[in-house]
Amino acid sequence: MSIITRPWSRMTLAGKIILPLLLLFVLLNILIVAGQMTGVLPVLVNGLFQVINDNVDIFRFIGAVTALLLFTVPAAFVIIFMEMKLIAFINLRLGPNRQGPWGVLSSTLHGFKVLAKEDFTPTGADVPVFTLAPVVTYLGAVMTIMVIPFAPGLFGLDMNLGLLYFFAVAGLGVIGLMMGGWSSFNKYSLLGGLRAAAAIISYEIPLTLAVVGVIMLTGTMSLNAIVLRQSGSFIDWFAFQQPLAFIIFFIAATAEGGRTPFDLTEADSEIVAGFATEYSGMRFGFFFFAEYVNLFILSALMVTLFLGGWNAPLDIQPLLDWLHITVNSAIDPGSLGIGLLWIILLVPPLAILAVTLPIWMIKSKWSFLKAFIVGFVIVNVIGGAILAVWAYITFPFVAGLFWFFGKAFTMVALFVIMRGTLPRVRIDELMGFAWKWLIPAALLNLFVTAGALLVLQAR
Amino acid sequence: MTADPTLVRSLDDPDLMVQTPATIYDAIPPYPPRTEREAEFYAMGDGEMLINIGPQHPSTHGVLRVVLKIDGERVVDLDPVLGYLHRGVEKICENGDWHHAISNCDPLEYIASMFSEAMPVLVAEKLLDLEVPRRAEYIRVLAWELNRIASHMLFIGWLALDLGGLTPILYGFIERDEIVEMLAALTGQRLLFNYLRIGGVNGDLNHEFLSRLGDWMSHALKRADDESKLLNSNEIFVHRTRGLGVIDRDMARRTCLTGPPLRATGIPYDVRRAHPYSVYPELEFDIPTREEGDSYARYLLHLDEIKQSIHIIDQVLGKMPDGPVMAKVPRLLRVPPGRAYIAIESPRGQYSCFGMSDGSDQPFRLRIHDPSYFNLQAVGLLMPGHLIADTMAIMASLDPIMGGIDK
Repeated sequence: MSIITRPWSRMTLAGKIILPLLLLFVLLNILIVAGQMTGVLPVLVNGLFQVINDNVDIFRFIGAVTALLLFTVPAAFVIIFMEMKLIAFINLRLGPNRQGPWGVLSSTLHGFKVLAKEDFTPTGADVPVFTLAPVVTYLGAVMTIMVIPFAPGLFGLDMNLGLLYFFAVAGLGVIGLMMGGWSSFNKYSLLGGLRAAAAIISYEIPLTLAVVGVIMLTGTMSLNAIVLRQSGSFIDWFAFQQPLAFIIFFIAATAEGGRTPFDLTEADSEIVAGFATEYSGMRFGFFFFAEYVNLFILSALMVTLFLGGWNAPLDIQPLLDWLHITVNSAIDPGSLGIGLLWIILLVPPLAILAVTLPIWMIKSKWSFLKAFIVGFVIVNVIGGAILAVWAYITFPFVAGLFWFFGKAFTMVALFVIMRGTLPRVRIDELMGFAWKWLIPAALLNLFVTAGALLVLQAR
Repeated sequence: MTADPTLVRSLDDPDLMVQTPATIYDAIPPYPPRTEREAEFYAMGDGEMLINIGPQHPSTHGVLRVVLKIDGERVVDLDPVLGYLHRGVEKICENGDWHHAISNCDPLEYIASMFSEAMPVLVAEKLLDLEVPRRAEYIRVLAWELNRIASHMLFIGWLALDLGGLTPILYGFIERDEIVEMLAALTGQRLLFNYLRIGGVNGDLNHEFLSRLGDWMSHALKRADDESKLLNSNEIFVHRTRGLGVIDRDMARRTCLTGPPLRATGIPYDVRRAHPYSVYPELEFDIPTREEGDSYARYLLHLDEIKQSIHIIDQVLGKMPDGPVMAKVPRLLRVPPGRAYIAIESPRGQYSCFGMSDGSDQPFRLRIHDPSYFNLQAVGLLMPGHLIADTMAIMASLDPIMGGIDK
């Protein structure tokens, strides 16, 4: 065997990665050629397309779920990095600045660090419950993304009971927290889990009651329909038609996501880390990601329900009509013929040279290579910007994604700023605030909305 | 609270060891109760449980361990356990000479060590009946007041941190760091200064110290206002600290409180005015007091004291006389036999020391009275009946430093 193992052990890491891939590639090629020659492959491919065509809804669902699951972790990384930098700015610190430019890789590396850590189970823990708790919490957070419409035509599932589904599944998260708190064999965890249960169940009520006004105005629970109902300029958003509901929803969402000033579930100065005290490694990572995914989802839901979803704040179409401007950005690349090839070949180098040469002439001390690199970056940035503007004008889903993520991350930043500035409330104040103020206010909002609707419909 | 002889048992009696393997993580001690109080505390009622706050806990100050008996979230009873930082400093001081005692006393009050290191110095000077140069006295007052501000800034940050605010502690540390850098330029150390000497101070003011001090004085008052703005107008902070942990004058007298917790009840007792020492009689300053006696009053009092200290530093810089900073003291210092008691006002209250000398070059006995130890007594009276979250705010507002409590 040494004839194989000795060269293998002398190979570099890159070689060890590339060689198996190369072998796999050769094997695949042989299989494909053999399949084509025997006529099996076309039959298989056609059959696969046939199956996809017949069950397009299921495959669309699977694709959407995969895309959304893959999307959650990077979104959590972005939010964690944003939180680290924003709180550092509030604290007059520098924040992360070593991993990558401006420390952008720090949260990703935190993720890898969590993966590499020991997965520890304390003595006396209820092992199955202890293991399942982070998964339940994470799934409860991630499954709700399904119904959120990101852009026109870009959503996992357009349910007619989308909002009900959202609240039902989001309520699962608290079960995971209680499971973690109970099974850890630790009193801090127990207190944290019970606090989480008490706080989140109390705040579900005002959260849901605040949304009922919106449901009454739109007459539907489909989130897609609610966003379509708010199209137009920002005056049509429900934040301006239901301001009280928006404020109640914001406060309740802060408690629901376990954010400062309602972060009693993991109050580090009182009960160490709450339900997560005994967790380490990737199990803790699941709790951690679930918290940030939850934060993003609550922001996204707030944007969807109250801030117009993917709609731009100002509708410029009437203005364009009034000015008799028609924007026609549709380009048919096929009409250019062989000219397209010339454009692709010649425009980038010529543009780079056109930017590089003036720089090189003005900055006489720079080498040509340095000027070339600067020119390359400038052309790419300008080209990217032009491409982005063109895509924004041409494709409605690009514009929708831009506005949706812009608004959602603004709301996330608001939560982060609150964390940097506010102390924590006490558990009895927290519960009292929900039952004495938020629920009566939500009921008031409900009655006023219902009365206004009755009066308007009777007229 | 004396030990009941019938309850006191040998710790290694195997029949009396508590045989409960499930409670290996419990706060219950592994021996039978030694006092009536312990027996009462560790007898659990229905629905009650014990929870350890400390010695390793994110929010205990130092290594204080408090065993809380809780019913749900409400604290029923508590048992503070001390001694995790006991080094026997007073005994160690008897083994070195009088100069060694200065650096041994340094880490007692490690947040403001300029005060604890003054203990053997002032005792020896009183026993020697030594005349300290006036410039040295002024420099001491300057260093003391700077250190007081540094300590108070951390107090505000800690109080906010224990209530869940992330930012004030860092603002406090920025201010403290400027002062600590300044004192490092003066003394060569950032934390344990070892600067005071019997008969004066270790070195004269230098250029770097004065330039840093000038920079800091130009924005000190503004910074103190900025720090207070973040919390004074914060609805949650005010709501949580107002009316929390109220100490009335009677309780303050019974528990021997000194310093800010005492002055927050309205008793204007400050050693700098009540029993003047050093050059404080020549300086103008007020003794700020508050009537309410709650955590919020203690917080506001610390802010007022920071402003008074800045005012004192202003005057000291104006009145600073010329001259030597060290009296003539022999290298081998034989202190005449006798007893002496001195007291100064530290950021946490009356820091005093009773010293005895037998005529040799070593202290015969140094008994150091640390205000944190006596302020901590109030915890037992204040905490029961509050929620767990409030116990942290009460503890932070009394500001104990374990270095001096465990000694």
